[in-house]
Amino acid sequence: MNRPNFRRTTRLLAPYLFVGPAVLAVLIFLYGPIAGSAALSLLDWNLLSSDINFVGAANYAAMFSNADFQLSAWNTLAYCAILIPAQIVIPLVLAVMLHSVSGSRMGTVYRGMLFLPTILAFSVAGVAWSWLLNPVNGLFNEVLTAFGLPRSRWHTDPDLALLCVSLITFWKTFGLNMLLWLAALANVPHSLREASRLDGASRWQYFRDIELPMITPTAFFISVTTLFHILDDIVGVIDVLTHGGPAGRSSSILYFLWQQGMQFFQFGQASAVAMIIIVVVLSVTWMQFRIGEKRVHYG
Amino acid sequence: MNGQSLPLSFKVERLAIHVVLLCLSVATVFPLVWMVTSAFTPNELITAKAIRLWPEQPTVSNFAIAAARHPIWMWLWNSILTSSLITFGKLVLALPAGYAFGRMEFPGRNFLFWLVVATMSFPSVLAIIPTYIAVVKVQAFDTYGAMIIPSIPYIGFYVFYFRQAFRSLQGSMFEAARMDGADVWRQFWEIAVPNVIPAIAALSVISFMGAWNIYLWGQLVLEDTFKKTLTTGIAAFADLDGAEILWGPLMATSLLSVTPVLVLFLLAQRFIVDALAPGLDEK
Repeated sequence: MNRPNFRRTTRLLAPYLFVGPAVLAVLIFLYGPIAGSAALSLLDWNLLSSDINFVGAANYAAMFSNADFQLSAWNTLAYCAILIPAQIVIPLVLAVMLHSVSGSRMGTVYRGMLFLPTILAFSVAGVAWSWLLNPVNGLFNEVLTAFGLPRSRWHTDPDLALLCVSLITFWKTFGLNMLLWLAALANVPHSLREASRLDGASRWQYFRDIELPMITPTAFFISVTTLFHILDDIVGVIDVLTHGGPAGRSSSILYFLWQQGMQFFQFGQASAVAMIIIVVVLSVTWMQFRIGEKRVHYG
Repeated sequence: MNGQSLPLSFKVERLAIHVVLLCLSVATVFPLVWMVTSAFTPNELITAKAIRLWPEQPTVSNFAIAAARHPIWMWLWNSILTSSLITFGKLVLALPAGYAFGRMEFPGRNFLFWLVVATMSFPSVLAIIPTYIAVVKVQAFDTYGAMIIPSIPYIGFYVFYFRQAFRSLQGSMFEAARMDGADVWRQFWEIAVPNVIPAIAALSVISFMGAWNIYLWGQLVLEDTFKKTLTTGIAAFADLDGAEILWGPLMATSLLSVTPVLVLFLLAQRFIVDALAPGLDEK
């Protein structure tokens, strides 16, 4: 074989050999299943039966008229309304405070403690919290009783279940955004703080005029990723704590999907839900990119 | 006021920040502290008195009870095995891809890069049903492979991150290697990889912790009690005992499942924080 030609061919092929396995893996295991869901959403089939029927849009029609779906969709909006602002703003406030004590030993300790829940499994978080919230003899109720207040049913109370799931999801996941904000703040040159202090700027003015514009790439990243993380994370908390109950009051749309697919084996129904979620998520991301491009400062 | 001492308002502000952060940190870890306390409290006493900060009559009997009822040491081994293999698989896929995206020019590069990185934003529940069907169809249900292989391809962040790491290396190193006649593989394996070892270490820790805590998927595909991981075993534990949950042994098993990732996190804390930073410099 012609030697220089062989080397030229390897050089041209090399990048594809490097990226090939990764590209194939995501195509087969991530894009593939989504294409599979698109197909399944048009079929009436469960794993147990051998007959597969094409039903067109029937799964979608059935889904939209399903009361459980409607309830979980409303719940999901409520979860987003509570958790998206909380997951963006509170971690930022914590990061600003942590950043201002970042030199000290205690700063590292606080950071580690605040991040701790993020490294737990959902099942462990669920165990810890179901014990605290236990309606019979959980600590929270003991504290209420000690102050002469009535006991609460917490996550087994229809009116409180969604709030309990939100609180635990927040507790379990705020650490990641906090670290991302912290990393962004650490990249703001320290000299700017000195300069602004000499100019007589207040802490708030410094934050608004200097830090905030400089961390907009992170803000953009966080705003895009928080939505997906929330949708995903709530499922874990619901599954260990409430199973969507009582009476579906804490279910979310992804948990509805999970139940339809993995408990009732209604693959067509579940896939129709998956398609709706994909469309919504992609539209929101697309809008965020459109808005984000105009606002983000790249240094 | 001289340049050395800080103004009083600043000192007050700092003190206030310390107080607030201390309270919030304690509140955040409280459920876990309580889990530790419960793990070492005799099971009979756990439900007797809810408010306690230290175990009365500390004991390790909960671990013994848990081990007698469930194969928790096997679960521990399964967690170690699956988490290690998932991490290894992610690195094998993401390292070369990150290298090619970061340091090579080739047609279709941007398209393929976004194809891979866009998967960062896929809620993992979306892929579960078709993947589950596929696992059943290839008769891989209730195998380690079913737990491990579908968990590997979530590499969007890893590829993104390694691209940044490889990009930040000095081009002159690669020039010199090329002059010496190093082919693309040697440039990657002997020059590039040794220079991003901190990045590899940080992402290995992040991946290991993530894999250790895989819950929904594991609960779905692992049925045999001897094949479960600690985090999926805990769910079985709670269900199996039904209304009469043995809280002490459950807390002990939970503690067992937290300890390895906790130690790993404490050792690598600085690393992880630094690792999360640079990838964000550009879109």
